[in-house]
Order: sequence, then C-alpha cells, then structure tokens
Amino acid sequence: MPVTYKGWRIWTVKYEDNFKTMPKGFGYAQATAEVNRCLLCHDAPCSKECPADTKPAEFIRKFRLKNVTGAIRTIKENNILGGACGVLCPTNRLCEKACSAKFVSDDKPEGADRPIQIGKIQRFLVEYAWQTGFIPIEKKDEKTEKIAVVGSGPGGLSCAAELAKNGYPVTIFESRPEPGGVLRYGVISSRFDMDFLEREINDVTALGVDIQCNSPIDKKAGAEKLLDDGYSAVFMATGLWAAASLKNNKNEIFGLYSSVDYLSALRDGRFNEMVENIEDKTVAVIGGGSVAMDCIQTASKIGAKDVYLVYRRSYAQMPAEPEERIEAMEDGVHFILLNQLTDYVVNKDNQIEGVKLVRTRLGDSDESGRRKPEIISDSEWVLDADVVIEAIGNTALENSPEWYPSVTVDEKNLIKVAPETGKTNVDGIFAGGDAVRGPALVVQAVQDGKTAARAIVEYLKN
Amino acid sequence: MSKDIDLSVEFCGVNFKNPFLLSSSPVSNSAEMVEKAFDAGWGGVVFKTLNSGRLSIIHPSPRMNSINYGNQKEVAVQNVEQISDRPLKDNLMDFLYLKKNYPDRPIVASIMGFFEEEWAYLAKVAEDNGADMLELNFSCPHMSIEGSGHKVGQSFHLIEKFTSTVKNSVSIPVMAKMTPNITDMREPAMYAKNGGADAIAAINTVRGISQIGLDDWVPKPNVFGKSTVSGTSGPAIKPIGLKFIAEMAQCKELGLPLSGMGGIETWIDALEYIAVGATILQATTGVMHYGYRVVEDLIEGLSDFMAGRNITKITDLVGKALPNLQETENFELDRQGVVNFDMARCIGCGQCVVVCHDAGGQALDWDSEKRRPLPIEEKCLSCMLCQFVCPVQGMINYKEMPNSWQRKETAVRDSGVEKDVKYEVFNKEPPKVCSD
Repeated sequence: MPVTYKGWRIWTVKYEDNFKTMPKGFGYAQATAEVNRCLLCHDAPCSKECPADTKPAEFIRKFRLKNVTGAIRTIKENNILGGACGVLCPTNRLCEKACSAKFVSDDKPEGADRPIQIGKIQRFLVEYAWQTGFIPIEKKDEKTEKIAVVGSGPGGLSCAAELAKNGYPVTIFESRPEPGGVLRYGVISSRFDMDFLEREINDVTALGVDIQCNSPIDKKAGAEKLLDDGYSAVFMATGLWAAASLKNNKNEIFGLYSSVDYLSALRDGRFNEMVENIEDKTVAVIGGGSVAMDCIQTASKIGAKDVYLVYRRSYAQMPAEPEERIEAMEDGVHFILLNQLTDYVVNKDNQIEGVKLVRTRLGDSDESGRRKPEIISDSEWVLDADVVIEAIGNTALENSPEWYPSVTVDEKNLIKVAPETGKTNVDGIFAGGDAVRGPALVVQAVQDGKTAARAIVEYLKN
Repeated sequence: MSKDIDLSVEFCGVNFKNPFLLSSSPVSNSAEMVEKAFDAGWGGVVFKTLNSGRLSIIHPSPRMNSINYGNQKEVAVQNVEQISDRPLKDNLMDFLYLKKNYPDRPIVASIMGFFEEEWAYLAKVAEDNGADMLELNFSCPHMSIEGSGHKVGQSFHLIEKFTSTVKNSVSIPVMAKMTPNITDMREPAMYAKNGGADAIAAINTVRGISQIGLDDWVPKPNVFGKSTVSGTSGPAIKPIGLKFIAEMAQCKELGLPLSGMGGIETWIDALEYIAVGATILQATTGVMHYGYRVVEDLIEGLSDFMAGRNITKITDLVGKALPNLQETENFELDRQGVVNFDMARCIGCGQCVVVCHDAGGQALDWDSEKRRPLPIEEKCLSCMLCQFVCPVQGMINYKEMPNSWQRKETAVRDSGVEKDVKYEVFNKEPPKVCSD
C-alpha cells in the first residue's frame, strides 16, 4: 500500500522491512495456467534465445505434461542459478522476446498474442523444488584434481557447480564476507532478496562446492599461486567492482557515491546509515541503465525529497528495461534527459551541493546503434543536489591485473579469453563473466561458467 | 435477444416454455434452489430423486471430484451422490410451493423404488402433490443393491415391470431414465415402452474412476480411505450421450420422445442433442460449474441461431442430423482430400509439423528459416491432426481433391530387405454362414 511519508509516497511494506524481500512469484496454479497457454512450438524460438541454454521450451513442455520434477531438473542441470535468472533476467529481450516476436502473422491467437512469462515459470519451478525438497542433481564419482574458482558471483557459482557435477572438488575463493558477488552486493533486495540467494547458493554447496569467504587472492600473482598450490585449474570470475566516474578523486567529495558503493551499502549492514544520508534530501542519479534504476528506486522509497535521474541521451536510448523506467516515473522520479554531467559543485568542506550539467542533442548513431549525445554549447546549468550517485558503468579494479600477472588483459583490464572455452593465455587459468565481457547479464556469466567448466574437464583429461 | 423466438415445446402432452430442464441431481435438491433456477429462466425441473423414507439416505463425504484438463476445470465431474436425503414430506411441500408460485414450469418428479409397492407409492404421492410428469430412475450409477438404480437398468425385465407398476398407479406421463452402462440402449428402452413408458430420458452418468490419489492409492472422491466406481458426468461424456440418443431416435420400433442429457453446457451442446433426436434437454454439470445463469446463454444462443436460420419452432430441429448418421459402408470412399493451409495466417509455431510427423502422414516439412510448414500434398492423409493443434482458427482446412488424384503410398523404409520377407498372399474366404 502506498502511503505518504514525510510528504513523499512510499511503499510501507518495502520500507519497513528495509526492502529485504522481493514480491512473491507465481504459485502452482498460476504457473500451471501459464504453461497451459504455451503453444509448445516445434523448433522452439525461446530455447534458442537463452544465453545460458536453460531450455525453456523443454522445461515448459515437461511441466505441461505434469513432469514437474523433470522440468526442475532441466532448469537446474542447465543453469544452476535458474532461480536467479528467472528473477533477474531481462526476459523481455531474450526468451520471451523470441516467444511472440517470431510469430509474424496477421493472427495472434491465444498463446501467441503475448509472450509466455518464462522467467516467472522458471522461478516458480526452482522455488517449488526448494518447497518440496526435490533435489534434481546427483553428484558423479569423485575425482581427485582440485579446482579453484575465484569469485562467488554468477560466473563462479555456475562454473563450480558444473565441475562439482562432474565429480571435481571445487573451492571458491571469495574476497567479501558473504558469497554471491553481484547477486548479493549489486542488486537491491526488493528485486532479488537474500533468502532466495541463500537457497540458490545452497544448491551449489549441496553439490560439495566449498566456498571460502573473506579469502581474497589479490596478493601478487594470486591465480598463478593457486596453480602452484596444487589446484589443477583456476577459473577467474572476479567481476567488475570499480565504478566509472567523472572524477578520479571522488572519494574526497562527501555525498558523492558510486552505484557500487551505494548498492553495496544497502545490502551489507550500512542500510540505516544510508537512510540517514538520503532521507529528505535531494538525490541526483547519473546514468540510464538498470543499475541507475535500482539507485533511483531505492532512493525514492527510502524517502528522498526529490530524486532526479540525469541521462545524457533520451528516454528511448536508455538501456534500462521499460518496466523499470515506468516504475521509476510512477514513483515520482524526475527524469532529466539530454543532459550530461560535466562537473560537481562542492562547498568549502568538500560536501557536494549539486552537479554541473550541460544540455545535449542527439546526433548520429554510435557503435551501439543508439544516437549519440552532442553537447550544446553555452547551455551549462547547475542542478542542486545533496547526494549524487554515479551509475555510469562498472569497470575492473585498477590493480586487478596484479592478481594474475601472466594473464593477458586488454586496455580496460578485461581478461582476454578464447570465447568458446574461456581459456586465457596461461595454461590452466580460465576466466569468464564481467571480468572478461565487461558489464553483462547474470545469465551470460552463468554460461561463461559452464563453458569454462566444460573446457576445464577437457583440459584435465589431457 | 435479437428476436422473440418461441422456444416452447410440448413433450408427452406437457408444455415447457423452453426445452431446458435441470436434471435430477444436487442442482434440483430443494424449492429454494429450483426457484432460483426458474427465476434465471429454466423451463422446468426434474426434481432430485425422491426417497420414500423407508431407508435413511446419508451422502458420502466428500461426494464429488472434478476432472480438470489443462486450464479447464470440470471437464467432467465424478460423484457418489445418493438420491434425496430430505424427508419425502419436505420434498412434496416444495413441489406444492413451486407449483403455486411457478405454475408455468412443469415439475418432473424423479423417483426410485426397490420393489413394486415402493415405486407405486412414490409415483402416487408425486402426482398427488403436483408433479406434471415422472422420471423413473433406472440408472443411478453407484447403487450396490440388486434391483435398484442402474442394476434395474441392466435387468431389462425389471424395467418393464416397474414401469408398468408406475403406469398403473398414475395418470401423468412417465419417462424412463436409462443408464449408459450397457452396450445398446434400444433394448431396455423397448422394455420400458412395453411397460408403458411415454418417453425415454438418457443418459445418466457413466460409471468411471476419475482419479487415483498417488499418496494413498485411494481413488477420488476419497471417502475416508475408500472410493468406488461411480458416475462421471459433464462435457467429457457428451459423445456417449449423443450416441445413445441418436440410436434410440433412429429406432422406428421405439418411436418415443426423448429427453437428452450428458455434458450440455452451451446452446451448441443443446442443439446437438436436439439434432440427434432429443426434444427436451436436461443439465446438471454445467450448472455445477457455472450456475443457473447458463440458461440465459442456452436460451439466447439457441434463439439467435433459430432466428438466423428462420426456424420458428424447436420441433423443426429435432432429429435434423439423423439422416446423415450412417454406417461406414455407405461412405463414398472414392472421394478423397487433403488439408489446405492459409499460409498468410500462419504464426509459425510448428505444432502441425510435430503431429504430422509423429502421428500423421509425414506430409509436412519445416522451413526453419521462415518458421513455416511446407506441405507435401500427395502424402497428406487428411487425418486433420494438424488442424486440431493449430492455434489459428480456420487456417487449416479440408480440401477435396479431383477424382484423378492419388495419395502417395507410405514408402517402405528399406526395400533391400524384400528378399527376407516371409509372406504369402491371404486368399481364403470366410466360412459360409446360414442366412435366411
């Protein structure tokens, strides 16, 4: 129920539990009704569009034919983070897009008039397995070669699970106090909650995967050292934990956060501190992606007086999902489009007071296919703000190449791999996820983990 | 309603303002219920089967189960319901109430006795308290006592005997309600006729088992750890009901008016029963699923259909389909056809390809680029499976082919094994049978 709190509309349920829970998913009846709507296509387009090969057409058919356990097995065998993907995947531009978009015809009969809600069915099946105690994956015979995975985000968990399924003892080294990587520290709980994350991680540890938290390997040559310490292969899935920023010395400006700092704070116990910083304040969020949407949504729900979203292109070019954008506007966020950040305004104590913006217009398309912003001269103005959050993309930490000095990286410090195997230039060291791709989807990291695990199995055979 | 269509019918001398009656079941259990049904528009009622009071009736609990299919609930309903558990006097008082307040809605009293005196008694009290007609329940599907319910319906001489007993006790018309749990209903119907029945009602529920509980191995409804073979009703059994009505309607020797039921929910179901020979119709499961309000759609739908076809009375529709219901030997097998795809309307789901390959004539290839079926006309069996699964209504249609057209025979997988076939042409004639 929305109510007014300090002059601002908030969702009390989410506020009172500090956004700790996400909305409920489908129940059995809803999920059944939805799979009954599916046309069970031949040569199904949805399955072709899943980056992690979760095989929606197969698990939906199984569910439709009451083979519920088989449906769960299909998901979990192909995607150990099938639950997380069911919740977080932008399905409207992957499987669900393929679902109806491929039906090009004058007719749109039931089942083809709007996509089947594949993500929600997938989430239901995974939750149903937890609810009923069904364990879909059996471990194989133990093998002796130990494997190290660095990072417990989606890529690391996926790789570890795939290797464990093949019988390999796997240890995940995680630098932070809790496992999950971006699933824990990079999303907000009202979108993906901790309880769900714990259950899904349990599915990985139940396969025998050992997760060592508070275990950074970022001493010099950590990856190579793991090979020396007796691990037969290493998978690097360290993610991107630095934030792009206009200013490099931004830590000295009070009230200026990166999205990484801000979102981590909401998940790691600094929640109340962050509420104090945001409540009744004017917040400006810079960026137009899903992370920016998470930032504005939480800021407005925590009780910010005004939340501005500043984006240098226009509404249509925003990478954030349409629903997220609409929800943000419904929440009362002010969208300032066609404006680019040029500088911060700070007082003598280095406390932020606003941002300097310059107006833009859209020019020709850039390499992303979106029209490029061009600065309009003499249009600079200042937007007053007490808090500024930059959500303009995550990058690799500056010192990350030191963790694996013999591994080749590119100019952005992203690890170079052979895409079909995840192999780096160093024998025995594999990599995947955002550390390789740059900012990408959870489901893509899952696939990278699987790909590398299969390559590692092959590598160990030889 | 677009036009004021007269749906009234006369059945065994009783006038019904429309042919839609509640059948004898939980939906016609009391005057309170029937009154609501009459207010909704039902043309009459077959009141829940009266109980003489000699035996106390206790319904099992729970008493029903639903058979669902996909998103569709109550494709069929399973029940172990008994005859009325109300005191006879209460039911008769309800007759009086209904006759007083709804004089234009006939009450058909359903009765079931166990021996002649009981049948006669029930018939008489029903008539004395306003029943316009009787329906003899020879068909309750889960009676275990010999000489009752469907056991009577399966013992034809008892049908004749009890019908005759009833006919001798009352002057109102008598209809015998038959069980479908036999092979041919014409024979017991003839026994009822010989006993004096004025009409036949069919079908009662089909004996079945709806579902098995997989945790406890108890079929459903699970009556505290036990279940029984009991009555299945609803849309799933419509083909069985239509068949029995059609066969009786085609039987010239029988020649009695018919009251049809079994899976009637929509006006189309009702019209189908009329087309195979029913004059009045009864329904329960449709009401159990959607309520008495379904009658609005039965009335409006049938009226609009009749208006559209310039049909002024229901009797003009009775038995309309019967001349076309024939034995297979009368089929014109030299006329053949194939399916025709309106490809512009195809959405590319490919379900047709799956069923054609796995259950049809392998007459559809698949263009995976364009996501379209590629018909191979000469292999089409005209089984129509592709049409059944196609989500686009009217996209796949039957097309008759010219007489010269030949279907390509299904190819032998490997003609190389011909030399190994152990085979002689069968050339014997069947033994001569003595015929007149």
